[in-house]
Amino acid sequence: MTRRPEDVYLDYAATTPVDDRVVARMLDIQTTAFANPASNHAAGRRSMTVVASAARQLGELLNVNPDLLLWTSGATESNNLAILGAARHRAHRGKHLVTMRTEHKAVVDVFQQLEKQGFSVTWLHPDANGRVTPDGLAAVLREDTQLVSIMHVNNETGIVQDIATLGAVCRQHDVLFHVDAAQAVGKVPLDLQEMPVDLLSLTGHKFYGPQGIGALYVADRVGTRIEPLMWGGGQQRRLRPGTLPVALIAGLGMAAEISASVLEAENLRLAELRDTLWQGIRKIDGLQLNGDLGSGYPGILNVGIHNVEGESLLLALEPLCVATGSACNSQNQEPSAVLRAMGRSDLEAHSAIRFSFGRQTSIDDVKFAAQTYRSAVKRLRAMAPEHDA
Amino acid sequence: MSSDPYSAVVREYFRNPKHVGDLEAAVIGYFLDQGMHIRLAATVAGEQITEMRFRVWGCPHVVAAAEATCRKYQGGPVANLEEFDSARIMQDLAIPIEKTGRILVLEDTVRSLAQAIRDSA
Repeated sequence: MTRRPEDVYLDYAATTPVDDRVVARMLDIQTTAFANPASNHAAGRRSMTVVASAARQLGELLNVNPDLLLWTSGATESNNLAILGAARHRAHRGKHLVTMRTEHKAVVDVFQQLEKQGFSVTWLHPDANGRVTPDGLAAVLREDTQLVSIMHVNNETGIVQDIATLGAVCRQHDVLFHVDAAQAVGKVPLDLQEMPVDLLSLTGHKFYGPQGIGALYVADRVGTRIEPLMWGGGQQRRLRPGTLPVALIAGLGMAAEISASVLEAENLRLAELRDTLWQGIRKIDGLQLNGDLGSGYPGILNVGIHNVEGESLLLALEPLCVATGSACNSQNQEPSAVLRAMGRSDLEAHSAIRFSFGRQTSIDDVKFAAQTYRSAVKRLRAMAPEHDA
Repeated sequence: MSSDPYSAVVREYFRNPKHVGDLEAAVIGYFLDQGMHIRLAATVAGEQITEMRFRVWGCPHVVAAAEATCRKYQGGPVANLEEFDSARIMQDLAIPIEKTGRILVLEDTVRSLAQAIRDSA
């Protein structure tokens, strides 16, 4: 977790550094529980005990039965398995699906594939605050609707959807409800006993666990069945075969346990960091908040700026490590689909910068970020031919 | 293969451009396309460009290319503007191929400046 001195890392929504305790746990497991947990001998059983322990740790964070968790390679695989698996399993009952325009590409692309395969998808537009209302969701549900997929915390804006209420709407209509919780797990309180969620995707590297490991929660409920995407050794109830990566799973479990213990205090600290940054830049002429300070996740602040070109702004902000739009999309020069769906113009979306904070972010870091942002905007505007360019 | 989309010279010209600004009594060339706005200003004495300045609303590669253009043509004959070569400047600054369209906007701006100088003669 040593930070290079020239970097100020403010991209925790893209990935978090692995917690030192998680690293230690994984190193230990690599040597003490290396065996295949599917093997029926003492070493294999030791590995399976480690896997079961990690499932328990994650289950406690989510307040679910750990037997209902499937290990995957990350949120993208979890989303694919949930959406494709549920849609295909229920296709004989109907082919109408619902999701939002502001979803992550790992959801959007899956629904687009299903559209090519003959499914009908309703793409919900968010309101001005980036949310979908229960009435807005209920209005598009049909007799043949089989699945709704809505993310909990938006990866670009930090906007939080009312998952409990939206889930209740789905239950009333006997529609499966999938939640992409990649940005929520370990960051906001989640109690799946209180939230009517059927399928929930998560990944370890968003909450100080290792990359390459995630999970999918599949509720134990009549009608909640999915088809596998892969076939092989029959592991994980034949829904996700393949040898389990014991050390990665142990790391994710440890990360879940740590997150549960610090979540509340950490969010208070993150809110202070975000508010300090916001106070430091909010008076800049033409600044536009993309999100909601009142009820959004406090670890993300997304702002756009008028009359400043986005790519130049990103370079001028060095040594800040920040994101334009979705981190997974940073090589793409297309404007953020999330911000466009929220009504921002192409230019506004191009200028958007996402600052995201985490456990290693200090108050000095965000004060430096505010100062750097102010300087960069001033310099680029001075370089432009005119302010209404 | 570098994962950095910006060469050292692009970074240097973007970070410390010496030719940003305006000039009094200058001839102006400008172009607006592909979401960018480029403005070149030049003062001319006889057949020589005595000073050049630029203003850009665009990506770092275009900013660096505009700075490189000013460095190259300031102090030289006006006729050299006609020899502006997008491919050459992209090669010199290691600008990626996907930015070709944007550098062509700079080329259009240079041609606009050359025409404006001819018109003002």
